[in-house]
Amino acid sequence: MTNPYQQQHGGSNFDPLASSRLPPLNARRPSYASVVSGSPSGLTRPARSGGFSHLLNPSPDSEQQTQASGLYPASMAYALNAPPVDFSGREEAVSVGDEIGDDVWPARLGVSFPYFSRAFDLYMYSKDSTLPDDYAGREDIRFPSATSIPNISSTGFLSPSYLRGTVYLQKLEEKHRRMIFAERGASSKGGAAASSSLSGRLTSNGSSSHLSATSAKVASSAQKGVAFDAVEKPIYPAEEDDTVSPLPSRWNRDDKEAALEVLGDGYEVRHTGRASSEHEASAIRADHYISPSCGVYYFEITVLNGRQDKIKTPQIAIGFASKDTSTSRAPGWEPDSWGYHGDDGHSFASQNVGKAYADTFGVGDTVGCLINFRLNHALFTKNGRELPIAFKNVPFKDVKGKLYPIVGLKKKEDHIMANFGQRPFMFDIDGYMKRQQDLIEDEIRLADTSKLASGLSETDLIQQLVLQFLQHDGYVETARAFAEELQAEKTALRLNPQETVKGISIRDDEDAHNRQRIRRAVLEGDIDRAMKYTDAYYPTVLRDNEQVYFRLRCRKFIEMIRKEAEHNLLLEERRNGHTNGKGQALGDTDDEEMLEAGAGDNSGNAFNGAAPAVNGNGEDLDTAMGDADGSNDPAGGLSKLSQEALVYGMELRAEFAADQDAEVARQLDEISSLFAYPNPLKVKEVTHLLDGSGRVAVAEELNSAILTSLGKSSRAALENVYAQTNVLLEELRKDGGDGAFVTVDNIIRRIPPTTLRPA
Amino acid sequence: MSSWSAALELGELDLDSAFRDAVFSQLRQSFDRMNSSTSTATPPQHAFEKRAADVKAPKSDINALILDYLMMEGYPNAAAKFCKEANLQPQQPDPSIQTRQDIQHAIHSGNIETAISALNKLDPELLDTDPKLHFALLRLQLVELIRQCNNGDVTPALDFATKNLGPRAAANREFLEDLEQTMALVIFPHDKNLRPELASLLNPDLRRTTAARVNEAMLLRQNQRREAAIRQLVRMRAWAETSARAKKKDLPESIELGLTASSVEGTGEGDNEAMITT
Repeated sequence: MTNPYQQQHGGSNFDPLASSRLPPLNARRPSYASVVSGSPSGLTRPARSGGFSHLLNPSPDSEQQTQASGLYPASMAYALNAPPVDFSGREEAVSVGDEIGDDVWPARLGVSFPYFSRAFDLYMYSKDSTLPDDYAGREDIRFPSATSIPNISSTGFLSPSYLRGTVYLQKLEEKHRRMIFAERGASSKGGAAASSSLSGRLTSNGSSSHLSATSAKVASSAQKGVAFDAVEKPIYPAEEDDTVSPLPSRWNRDDKEAALEVLGDGYEVRHTGRASSEHEASAIRADHYISPSCGVYYFEITVLNGRQDKIKTPQIAIGFASKDTSTSRAPGWEPDSWGYHGDDGHSFASQNVGKAYADTFGVGDTVGCLINFRLNHALFTKNGRELPIAFKNVPFKDVKGKLYPIVGLKKKEDHIMANFGQRPFMFDIDGYMKRQQDLIEDEIRLADTSKLASGLSETDLIQQLVLQFLQHDGYVETARAFAEELQAEKTALRLNPQETVKGISIRDDEDAHNRQRIRRAVLEGDIDRAMKYTDAYYPTVLRDNEQVYFRLRCRKFIEMIRKEAEHNLLLEERRNGHTNGKGQALGDTDDEEMLEAGAGDNSGNAFNGAAPAVNGNGEDLDTAMGDADGSNDPAGGLSKLSQEALVYGMELRAEFAADQDAEVARQLDEISSLFAYPNPLKVKEVTHLLDGSGRVAVAEELNSAILTSLGKSSRAALENVYAQTNVLLEELRKDGGDGAFVTVDNIIRRIPPTTLRPA
Repeated sequence: MSSWSAALELGELDLDSAFRDAVFSQLRQSFDRMNSSTSTATPPQHAFEKRAADVKAPKSDINALILDYLMMEGYPNAAAKFCKEANLQPQQPDPSIQTRQDIQHAIHSGNIETAISALNKLDPELLDTDPKLHFALLRLQLVELIRQCNNGDVTPALDFATKNLGPRAAANREFLEDLEQTMALVIFPHDKNLRPELASLLNPDLRRTTAARVNEAMLLRQNQRREAAIRQLVRMRAWAETSARAKKKDLPESIELGLTASSVEGTGEGDNEAMITT
């Protein structure tokens, strides 16, 4: 990879404008060579900010260019300033496409190939082979690559702003997260294998008090086959069905008319002029279809044709079409195809006779296409302005073969760039989406709740829901206080002072107290205590509820890892704060002693010397420091804490090894993966496993199991309301109906956050 | 069995509560046994119920709903206890919760004058910026005065109306209609023959709704949300069912909240409601 053009392109003085408005590019833009060679610094994805600046920096002698560049509003300038970077890493090398079509730079380089010359093809399509085979994969997982694209995450997840908060996007994200996780899991298998070799030996110690109970449980779990998670399961499980079809994210190189060429990162399309003359137009579709479950879909294109073009309104068309339509006809001309044409401003609804619709569009214009699946209509935007509805009463959700974003070009040098939501749109689609949501929320605000529970007003119903929940879940004191306050309210409301208001008797049952005690233990992260209480008060519960037992055991493992990770984190902070030597930095306070206990794992033996000074007062510390010098341990260099966690993890694996449930195995893998990181608290993709909310989930699962064992409903009515609402909305969400615009989650998120008190 | 339990639920059988609890716990247990032993024979659960059962109701969300409700609707003691028991800490201790509760209490008790002066002390501009709310409070005060007259000497009520409500009503047609309707209470005896729309003015629900409106206004002025999230959830539940039925989605005939079954469980709340509102 020593292509001179590429090197030139990477040079900082290549583009005077870019360098004048941005920090020196040398620092931020490592040479391509360093990228390929895999040096860590080179792998930080550079912001290739200069790529388009020629458009913003017209040559003074070209009046046309000056005018045209003036058409680009601020947001456009932004878009052009930071051209798309492909997250997969593969197309980084093809970035030259950005510059092609510019009449300035080939001259500067002293090269005179026309931009569509095959000379560039070599350079554009042979890149991949020069990259290490696993380049893209590695980049995805390890390196925050696409930080320069506002709406694409470091792991390559596209989240257009207007869809944030929708269930559709949440589901996509969940799916994406699982995929990334699976990839990581695969890459850390080596580690897992190593540790499992330890397992046989370690578990033979038989230190687990629960081993005896295990065999029976293992047998029963196979029959149950209940799926459950070690971490809190998302409310919307990632389904493998069509409702989570990914968003269109770039143009599809395999679904286009031959004359078109996809450039750069897959956002740009250009007409090469190679089309045979009988072609009416050359179209290209995006990579994925538009899932109606998003409710509203929107994308934009910007016409990049050279401004020296004589035709200001080239025959460019934007729209959407099913997979079956021909790519050699213009969007809108075929059945199941709809389009808006720039040359005449007409709209075409599945026939080649158009209707006068709006302005024409052309060079420098940004045109957007919006499908509203709920209202069964579609409209376009031009330079951020909403145009009238173009297609009314078309049930787009029912179109066979699904709809894809499509664009049609006609002539050589026609050139567009699409925004599939990877960066801010010119049109205020967020505001449009908000208005759709507000309409539905207004409807909800007026909903009549009287049918939910006959004879109860909304206020009464809510009071009952709350009171019942408090009692159901064993919040005895709260229930009592609430009942008193309710009674005071009712006493105030009575009209006749002689009338007595009957109090609400909150039974002071032992059972509620016991459940409360168990819950508290779990919430404080003390799983052993919780299991002890449970065995004492409800001896059958853990035996009969394999899943709950498993989750508690997993949680204990997580708490062990969490404890160690927190220690390490604190230790690290201290270390960074005190650079004047460990003697002073450590050994002063309990905190620091504790930190030391957990330090050995990733800090080598820097602190081993301090160990004898410790006179710890916590149990963990005493035992931890007891054999802090256990360097002959096969686990080598592990702290006592993580050793314990490892042993415990092995026991857990052994205990559930025979479990047939794939979900159990998956979760074991998942939590075992925590071992793969020096400090999992610092690894964004796994921190959720350690999150305190996991305690709440486990505590509640246990509470439900106890309630069920007592013959009570495992759920309070309020929880039923929550769950039923979710399912009802799910129904209303199909095909982009009302439910696509509202979620239970949105309601919850409006509540100012309350946080779990740190244990 | 069902008619008996229905009768019990309605409070038609006069049983002492401990006995009733015992009976119900037995009934429940035998019912559960029946269910579990014949689980294969019971009709298959509707797909909707099954799906709902599979949806997680994360306790963090439910807890947030509860705490939000207790804080916003003015139950400070319960809110404090809940934080303790559920291991939550409120984002910030809210001193206004007690003030709001005091004002609500005054309105619930019919002491509108007290409420208005407390409100003016808390936020002198609130009533000025919300004439509708101010009028609603004054009208409630008029209703309370009329109630006190008890069809006897109506002079205090008439004086109050002339002095405080008349000038406001003159400027606003809606106010005028409300005032005229309220004044009708002076003329007609407060008995069973009273027109329903007039009788509703004498119902304590008017105090309750007015108090709720005042609470919302206070919350809004403090840059908070207008109402507790649980209200939105309950309405969303109602709306979603109505919409889904309108769209002919496959739903069970009725979707039970599971409230009645457990309100039997030791509260006797249903009886209270019946008693107080009549």
